Amino acid sequence: MSALGGAAGGAEGFSSPVGLIGGIILLILSFVLAFYFGAMATVWILLGVVIGGVLIGFGVHFVPVGGAPAAMGQAPGIATGVAMLAAGAGLAGLFGGAWAAELGLGLALAGGAIGGALMMAITCMMVNVIYVFGMGIPAASGKVAKDPITGDTFPEYKSQGSEGHGLPFISYVGGVIGGFFAGLGGSLIYLMLLDIYEQTLPDILGASAESIVPLAVSLAGIFAIGMFLVNAVLSAYNITGTIEGPHDPKFRRVPRAMIASAVASAVCGIIAIMIIFVGV
Amino acid sequence: MEELMLGIGITAIAGALATVAGAAEDTESDIGSQGDPNSQVQLAPQMGYIHRIFNKAVSGEPPAYGLWCALGAGLAWALMAMQLNPILALILGSALAVFVQGVYCVTAYLGRTASLAKFEQPVYIDILKSVTTVTMAHAFIAIFTTVTMCHLMNTALGHPFPLPLLGLVWGIALGAAGSATGNPFYGKERQYQNYDFGAGTPISASGDIVRYAEAGDRSSLDNGWFTSKLGGPASGVCFGLIVFLELWRTVLFEEWGNGWGAIIAGVILVLIFTAIDRYIEVYARKTFGPYGAPEAVEEETSTEAST
Repeated sequence: MSALGGAAGGAEGFSSPVGLIGGIILLILSFVLAFYFGAMATVWILLGVVIGGVLIGFGVHFVPVGGAPAAMGQAPGIATGVAMLAAGAGLAGLFGGAWAAELGLGLALAGGAIGGALMMAITCMMVNVIYVFGMGIPAASGKVAKDPITGDTFPEYKSQGSEGHGLPFISYVGGVIGGFFAGLGGSLIYLMLLDIYEQTLPDILGASAESIVPLAVSLAGIFAIGMFLVNAVLSAYNITGTIEGPHDPKFRRVPRAMIASAVASAVCGIIAIMIIFVGV
Repeated sequence: MEELMLGIGITAIAGALATVAGAAEDTESDIGSQGDPNSQVQLAPQMGYIHRIFNKAVSGEPPAYGLWCALGAGLAWALMAMQLNPILALILGSALAVFVQGVYCVTAYLGRTASLAKFEQPVYIDILKSVTTVTMAHAFIAIFTTVTMCHLMNTALGHPFPLPLLGLVWGIALGAAGSATGNPFYGKERQYQNYDFGAGTPISASGDIVRYAEAGDRSSLDNGWFTSKLGGPASGVCFGLIVFLELWRTVLFEEWGNGWGAIIAGVILVLIFTAIDRYIEVYARKTFGPYGAPEAVEEETSTEAST
């Protein structure tokens, strides 16, 4: 029961089938439009964009975010917002992925994924450096009594009146995995869009393939960053506040976010694709 | 070989610039109270604690710095396109972006503090005059170093992204690294300095932030002095490591294994940081030990007092 008297919103599933059906219709419509504008090749591009978006939505749920309570040592996690931290990691990955774009799809994707993971590994380690050496506070989870990886127990290391603090090892690992998937997804979106822009823009603008590269890179980069933020914010709404990582009960909400990310990425992706075809 | 040496040199300079940027960003956000700990600055008057701390959570640090760095980079890029000297263009672009930051600071402080009028929190004009310029100065350092770093990545290392896009990407990453590392030190260690060291802040203490200095009221400038001893430098090390190692593994190892060398180097670095993190966690558990039960602590204290 909600405060307004209706049924309480679903914690893990869709509260309304109308939203789910509407989302699926939008998804199918986006693919139909992609086929209409550019045949099967464009459908594959859009599929890559959608997979990239889903990977971002999936990855964001791994990132341990404590928000304002973590900044006061009142809750575990990293003391900033979900979308912001994930964006920082994912975009650092996108930087690496874009740099390696000339070396092939596999290498560029791996570069993006490792770039995101490395950013999160350094950030998570520095969080514990500050907590331990600056504030004298050991890491303790507020959601589980024992670390699923190391077996460390937490209740006796949780200070009175708080819900835990710092970054337990499971949260650290979650952060690295989250950065990995966020960087992978962001790079995939960028590479897919770069591919279609490099193929179509020379014909549309009547310019050489070489001269079109700066425009294609800029357009793909802007759309990739935009779609990254869309999926990160969407996942932040699904998380509602803070999450400790893969061991947090809120992590079970991830399927809902993946479906929503797929729909949002498809709609954003078709706009990014149509922008060139509509201009013909 | 010459190209490799140049690449390593640029990587080192970019890492150094990023370190300065991270330190300046965190100190700016602590003086201006930009990040998550500002929730307590906003909350304090509502709990009856009137204060003289600056209050300007314009937005989260990553989008704020994404905007300011993209703006600085975009303006610098436009000025360079007009054939202006790159160094001058970078300085002018950053300076213009800082004015936008200053406008946000003023409107955020006035708007946020005015909204607390019914809790009798005054708007202090002298705070506005003295603190805004200090945050702008720190923001200039953060933006200028980030935009210069992006310029080096673009022109010297040949990254395909144009300068404004690099400014946006690294501005967001700068804000993410600075807020993740620096926020706890300002939020817990400074704002709740009156509470026990070595423990999280009890939720019941929310809003009871440090308001008095050795003499008179505490100023936000004091907060910058305090956090620049650890939170700022740690944020700088964090962002510096991110930028340096990202470039270093690419510049040095990309030629190995048809490009897979950079990936393998990245994986090894992640494993090294994971081992360090685990060591720190175990060190903390061994050094500080578990917290005693509240009753046991009380009994111990009363026994000590009686003897």
